[in-house]
Amino acid sequence: MADRLLFSKTGRAKYISHLDLMRTFQRAFTRAGIEIKHTQGFHKHPFVSIALPLSVGYSSQCEILEFGLVGGATAEEVPARLTAAMPEGIIIHQCYPAERKLKELAFVNYIINFEYSEGRPQASEPAMQELLSRESLVMQKKSNKSKKGYTEVDLIPLIRGFNLECQSDTLTLDAVLCAQNPGLNPELIRAAFCQAYPEYAPDFVTFHRREVLDIDGNPFR
Amino acid sequence: MNRTLEHILPKVQKPARYTGGEYNAVVKDKRTVDTRFALCFPDTYEIGMSNLGCRILYGLMNEQEGLWCERCYAPWGDMEEEMRREGLLLYALESGDPISDFDIIGFSLGYEMAYTNVLNMLDLAGLPLRSADRPELTPLIVAGGTCCYNPEPLAPFVDFFVLGEGEEVTLEYIALYRQAKEECWSKEEFLREVAQIPGIYVPSLYEVTYHADGTVEAITPKDGAPATVTKRIVEDMDKSYFPVKTIIPSTEIVHDRVMLELFRGCIRGCRFCQAGYAYRPVRSRNPKLLAQYGKAACEDSGYQEMTLSSLSSTDYPCLMELCDELLDYCAPRDIGLSLPSLRADTFSMNLMERLQRVRKGGLTFAPEAGTQRLRDAINKNLKEEDLLQSCRTAFSGGWSGVKLYFMLGLPTETDEDVLGIADLARKVYQCWRECTPNRARGVRITVSTSWFVPKPHTAFQWDAQIPMEEYQRRVNLLRDALKRDRSITYNWHDPQTSYLEAIFSRGDRRLADVLETAWQNGAKFDSWSEYFDFQRWMDALKACGLSGDFYAHRVREKDEVFPWSVPSVGVSRQFLWHERELCYQSQTTPDCRTRCSGCGANKFLPGGVCNG
Repeated sequence: MADRLLFSKTGRAKYISHLDLMRTFQRAFTRAGIEIKHTQGFHKHPFVSIALPLSVGYSSQCEILEFGLVGGATAEEVPARLTAAMPEGIIIHQCYPAERKLKELAFVNYIINFEYSEGRPQASEPAMQELLSRESLVMQKKSNKSKKGYTEVDLIPLIRGFNLECQSDTLTLDAVLCAQNPGLNPELIRAAFCQAYPEYAPDFVTFHRREVLDIDGNPFR
Repeated sequence: MNRTLEHILPKVQKPARYTGGEYNAVVKDKRTVDTRFALCFPDTYEIGMSNLGCRILYGLMNEQEGLWCERCYAPWGDMEEEMRREGLLLYALESGDPISDFDIIGFSLGYEMAYTNVLNMLDLAGLPLRSADRPELTPLIVAGGTCCYNPEPLAPFVDFFVLGEGEEVTLEYIALYRQAKEECWSKEEFLREVAQIPGIYVPSLYEVTYHADGTVEAITPKDGAPATVTKRIVEDMDKSYFPVKTIIPSTEIVHDRVMLELFRGCIRGCRFCQAGYAYRPVRSRNPKLLAQYGKAACEDSGYQEMTLSSLSSTDYPCLMELCDELLDYCAPRDIGLSLPSLRADTFSMNLMERLQRVRKGGLTFAPEAGTQRLRDAINKNLKEEDLLQSCRTAFSGGWSGVKLYFMLGLPTETDEDVLGIADLARKVYQCWRECTPNRARGVRITVSTSWFVPKPHTAFQWDAQIPMEEYQRRVNLLRDALKRDRSITYNWHDPQTSYLEAIFSRGDRRLADVLETAWQNGAKFDSWSEYFDFQRWMDALKACGLSGDFYAHRVREKDEVFPWSVPSVGVSRQFLWHERELCYQSQTTPDCRTRCSGCGANKFLPGGVCNG
């Protein structure tokens, strides 16, 4: 049976890519003296797998990594020991045996911050409301499988719910999006907004994963 | 993190190079720090982070109270563009603070083609390029590394150069700097004083005059600066700092592994090799200590790979003992142990087989020259039979590829020597046919040639680099000779960078204008084909009224005053001249352990005895 870690990736660690993060975990387990399962085969290597790869530059407080704890530490000791062996910005919160299948992870709650350095235009909020309330919102998405180099995806059915909040220089979109098969990258929402309302295009957008959810909207662990 | 930086990072490639925050990166409380040092490497993060010297200095400096050493690398073009657009000054990775606010900015200079990056980084930091245009004491611009044995092309930009190994002298000049800062010395006062520390070369304290033909007439020290500045070494490697705890990057770098430095120096005395002369005398580390360091570094880093490093690892006296002990540790933990810089002899092959039980990496040999006559002339004491025997062992053991490195244009080389390379490669192929257990798998023999660059402080410092057309002719000769051998691939090094290396490695300080002009016209990352533009350099030389051939292709007189006459590696000029004469007679010099050849480097050690 596999074990899981719940961890966050914020601050400077946001810029560590998915592959680099896997390598960082493999080394950190060794540094922390935690023995983990290895793949079998000619070139054995430590087995770690991250549930939903996170784009470079996104922060998260709910990342899930699967591995197999063999020894060197108890599950209770793992979070503190491993955090100490990590680069700045990665904090391990929990280590526990996996009880549910990863495919039960259905939704991701993102906090998407649209920043306006000169102050937020009043009409940006109704504009976003309008956009996300459409019947359908088709965007082009890069694809390696398609001959054209992109496929079309309708965003609306992949948005389970959203909430908007305004401050003087930010517009915060709190959205629950489909996680996998297919999932929705929140970058597409930003792109759709800038395409539909170029006059309200923000100066900068940050993306943060707040929670991963199951089909009923409960936290997935 | 700085907001501007946060807005830039999503737009650039591999942003993890620009963030810091790696495991073991040292962050100090600024209130406890009185001196801040920016350790700069004039190339990308991936290359600079792989540099062992920088790892040592970083660890060593950060052990000191009140001193905080941070890192800084050359941003790639996309990052530079964003930084300039947003007005973000070059910053140190640990704190994110602009390096222009630091006390000392130190560059590591390992290769000439990084010089323009030094200028570009100073400019990105918002600092004037020339020392004379920076009248304040801070920030001081210093440089170390092997290029400093002839730092003249950078003389007007850098306040002072550090010759040799930095472990001790770095702390000495920082101590002097602290005194200067406390007592409010002027920059001139400080430079005059720092020039008195052995191993420190302050270029502004030397006046250079030239003959009408462009050669140096005299180099005159002023303000009490020494006529000769001799490099520094660490006498006892067992007492010297070893970086057990090093920064583990969160993204991939070039040498992403534990580096275990066995010894410094080399006993061989290859006549073309600057490192072979510049790192004398040989000083080894105790194998017990090394094993201890290696294990501790693996545990601290989590690395699954360790490499033993030195100029010629086969010459480490306790290599078997050390490898056995390390293997006992590494094998059960699946840690790969690699041993580059092995000589092509039987002993080494046995060792390779033991080390590479699991992973068979590539096999690379550097015979350097194609015939025994020329190998003798350059004192590369490698016998053909040794090389072939090594290949037989390797092929029997299942290796199916070997790389052979050579240089073209070595002094005394004839067409016979060039064609000798093809013959040697064919003999290696024959070995494969005789020894391989599996002929169906085929073999890949790669022959690579580079264009020989004569270096200062070597036996060939007087010699000319052959002209580019002649190099090209010899390349064509060899290419034609290897045309029909389908199992042999021939690669040759692009001659343009080698020509510039030949100019700058033995250049004088007039070349500073060429550097600056080329930089102004966009030169940077000249060791990267993405950025290198040969024409830009030719234009810069022309604009400054200098001839590249004068530096690259000219044979020097025996008594010519070299631009690098002040820096000394401790090897006497007479010895180097004698070595050159032996070359022209195709005579060899035995290695240092067989017989002392009296180079002069023994004076660095107590009692004047090398024991390596």
